[in-house]
Amino acid sequence: MRLAKAPVRRIGSEDDRILPLINVVFLLLIFFMVAGRLAVADPFRVEPPRSADGAADDRGLAVLLIAADGRMALDGEPVEPGALAAIVGKRRPGDVGIKADAAVEAGRVVAALRTLRAAGVERVRLLTVAGRPG
Amino acid sequence: MSPSACARRLPWPTARPRRRRTLIGLTPLIDVVFILLVFFMLATSFLDWRAIEVSVAPDGAGPASPEGALLVEVRPGYVRLSGRPVADGTMLDRVRGRLLERPDQAVIVKPTAGVSLQRTVTVLDLLTGAGVRELSLFGASETVR
Repeated sequence: MRLAKAPVRRIGSEDDRILPLINVVFLLLIFFMVAGRLAVADPFRVEPPRSADGAADDRGLAVLLIAADGRMALDGEPVEPGALAAIVGKRRPGDVGIKADAAVEAGRVVAALRTLRAAGVERVRLLTVAGRPG
Repeated sequence: MSPSACARRLPWPTARPRRRRTLIGLTPLIDVVFILLVFFMLATSFLDWRAIEVSVAPDGAGPASPEGALLVEVRPGYVRLSGRPVADGTMLDRVRGRLLERPDQAVIVKPTAGVSLQRTVTVLDLLTGAGVRELSLFGASETVR
């Protein structure tokens, strides 16, 4: 007796081959969603100084950005250095983090610190990145 | 209730004799997932931000430094401790010695002109590591212009 062998057309077979790929891509996706942190891009590039200590707490503060050439931005909006005191005095942030470039002259940062204090900011913190200076 | 009875009650066949064609093609799904993956790879940052508390030393009218505070002037390759140029390690030893006598010894760090922020942060790190609690920054008396 001859069994009529129906042509087995396996539609799902090519799907089966890429399922492991999708699994890996999904895992990568979930890793980046959970482990990473979405951050708003800064208006200019800042290479933060490296520091061995410091508390790992930089949330919920206004950020003053200082570029290597002295440009400044408060919370993403460019600020003229001369207008910093007026803007800080108007917005009254209670807590400011200074994210300055590692190559900027320290005197500029201290001057900005002084300006912020004079404008009534209670707490000023210097934001750094963990690691050894290299 | 046995599992088979439970299975019998289901409105759809549980054991399918043949694989049915998937309704949604996998290719658009993979496209979307890839795009999401690329978005998250580009948009997330893994920088480990730290925050250092800094206080600014008072200046101007009053005494330039509190009574008995150590003044550390930061220079590009060395520091000046109370006016004498010393290497970083020597400065640390002396500061540790002072801390043994007075645990609440105040230290004022003054970066001079041309010193990068990184160098200043390194010196601040060294002093914090030595156990200094009263640490403040001191700069030229002007504010930003």
